[in-house]
Amino acid sequence: MHVDPRKMSWLGILFVVFVAGCGQQEPVIKIGVSGPFTGDQANVGLTVLRGAKLAVNQANLNGEVLPGYKLELVPIDDQHNPTQAVSAAKKFISDPQILGVVGHLNSSCTKPASQIYYNGRLAQITPASTNPDISKQGYDTFFRICATDDLQGPKAAQFAFNELAARKVFIIDDKTTYGKGITDEFKKAFAAMGGQVLGHQGITQGDKDFTPLLTNVRTLSPDLIFYGGLYPEASLIIKQAKDLNIKAPVMGGDGIYDVTLINLSTPQAAEGTYATMIGTDIRSLPQAQEFVKAYESEFGDIGSYSAYSYDAANILIQAIKMAQIPDREKVISVLRGGGTFPGILGQTKFDENGDTENEIVSVFRVRDGKWEHVRTV
Amino acid sequence: MELFFQQLINGLTIGTIYALIALGYTMVYGIIQLINFAHGEVFMVGAYIGLTVIMFLGFTAAANLPLALLYLALILLISMIVCGLLGILIDQIAYRPIRNSPRLVALISAIGVSFVLQNVVMLIYGPQDKGLPQIFPDIKFIFGEVTITLMQILIFAVSLVLMVLLHFLVQNTQIGRAMRATAQDHKMARLVGINVNGIISLTFFIGSSMAAVGGVLFGLYYHTINFHDGYLAGLKAFTAAVLGGIGNIPGAMVGGILIGLAEGFGAGYISSEWKNVFAFVILVVILLLKPTGLFGERISDRA
Repeated sequence: MHVDPRKMSWLGILFVVFVAGCGQQEPVIKIGVSGPFTGDQANVGLTVLRGAKLAVNQANLNGEVLPGYKLELVPIDDQHNPTQAVSAAKKFISDPQILGVVGHLNSSCTKPASQIYYNGRLAQITPASTNPDISKQGYDTFFRICATDDLQGPKAAQFAFNELAARKVFIIDDKTTYGKGITDEFKKAFAAMGGQVLGHQGITQGDKDFTPLLTNVRTLSPDLIFYGGLYPEASLIIKQAKDLNIKAPVMGGDGIYDVTLINLSTPQAAEGTYATMIGTDIRSLPQAQEFVKAYESEFGDIGSYSAYSYDAANILIQAIKMAQIPDREKVISVLRGGGTFPGILGQTKFDENGDTENEIVSVFRVRDGKWEHVRTV
Repeated sequence: MELFFQQLINGLTIGTIYALIALGYTMVYGIIQLINFAHGEVFMVGAYIGLTVIMFLGFTAAANLPLALLYLALILLISMIVCGLLGILIDQIAYRPIRNSPRLVALISAIGVSFVLQNVVMLIYGPQDKGLPQIFPDIKFIFGEVTITLMQILIFAVSLVLMVLLHFLVQNTQIGRAMRATAQDHKMARLVGINVNGIISLTFFIGSSMAAVGGVLFGLYYHTINFHDGYLAGLKAFTAAVLGGIGNIPGAMVGGILIGLAEGFGAGYISSEWKNVFAFVILVVILLLKPTGLFGERISDRA
């Protein structure tokens, strides 16, 4: 059979026009989600993606969010890299169908991205960035549903001083916005209670060998080592501290609260490690049971932030419903309106900075190779 | 004083691993004047091969020391062979076809190989940090305030044995003589009947298998590996090779240990925030005073 190539190319063009035309006929509204879906933080980042995915899937099953519109989720990976986070934010604001964003995970990414969202007039709800400065920039597009470090740090200090009877601590941070933020707040509160801070040193992310620093820490014999940073370095610090025969336990913020920490530092070494976590043990909340079941049947373990991301996405969906039309400004003003949004974490209400008023912090401890909820503080 | 000895042990541990990687840089440079920037990635692959062997053979914490040593020997052997062959393959695919091109071409090719290896490992094993199970019994030797773990002793012992063997191979055997001849002049070596391409392949094999040993020991010591790990470790080992005088085998060993000690003492006595800076500061100072590196006279003659 002979086919004229010119005819074929015309057919091709017609086909493209046809397909493009079809795309325009079905109106879509979108929610963006961004976090580190690959890279060293992928373990945690993927829980953000999956939580939002579950929320959007359920919303679509429960009928249309806005009459005549289909709701879609647009994931963009920020690789735990501020540059990538900014470029993700630019992609989100340039797509007029996107009405809100769930993201980002790391404070160092959320902060630079928040400016882009502000300039693009797009509502952003971070499920996990705990650095307090982000909400103090005066951006009315910024919202967060987790507690901040200025809360996590002092609560950790209280727990260390009162419950663990620690009087001398050594503080280590990873020099990131998050790590420095939480350790500075911890230090202030711990010193105010009359505790002694033996020293405060930084380390570099991605480094493997912390024995020189820990050797110095050992000579100071602290009661506790407080670490501001994430689980990859924390697990090495825990393991190397045990190898150097340091008896003091390591305590950290939500950045080290991850099952992988126990695996990476070996269960024996991780035993007795403490972590504060924003919010509480999701499994202990009666209103979260359905979420846990639905998430686990689809993705497995609920991880650290899936519930937060699920709630953030649901709050955006509620706000879009209340806005009634697909309009970014409307969504922002609904979120800013001082209303209460019910979710699995409880009743979320945003204050004038966009921070949630539902601030809960819990302490977890590694026991028999598992994170165990100690108490809410 | 206890503090000093503890920092000495800390620095020596990581230093011997740098030295093992540096050997590959220096051997390849010595023989074809190529800075094989993919070498750090071979080290990383070595660590992942170690992980794979442990998982595949289902090793868990060994009940006793001899059994654990048997495990280690097996892991090292497999990782060395796989990485050695990988080294040869890299040379065949990425360097041999452009052997007579300007040096920069091969350098860029090396950087390309490095990206490919990183991404292949990421695709196979995933982007997350991988934990290696502990295969050795948790043995620690405590002398007053100085603690040394069994793993650290093993790192010293294995590295020392390998370096002595390598030195013997290069200085006292027929193959070693052929390697040194090839390093001096390819054309002359060929004229006296040396299989130059074979010797180059062998050099890649030995250098890569040394990196594999470094990778396995690194993984077992720190318990966590990531596909990024080859970059910084490779960069520091390269620094060690340059510090010792690139092309010079004992120089690479000494350079590696010096870099490890600089890090250990620098981080311990000055500040851990600047840990990664000390290695490079030492490099700059030594290169300013002695541009050929510590043991690098022979290179300057030839270049």
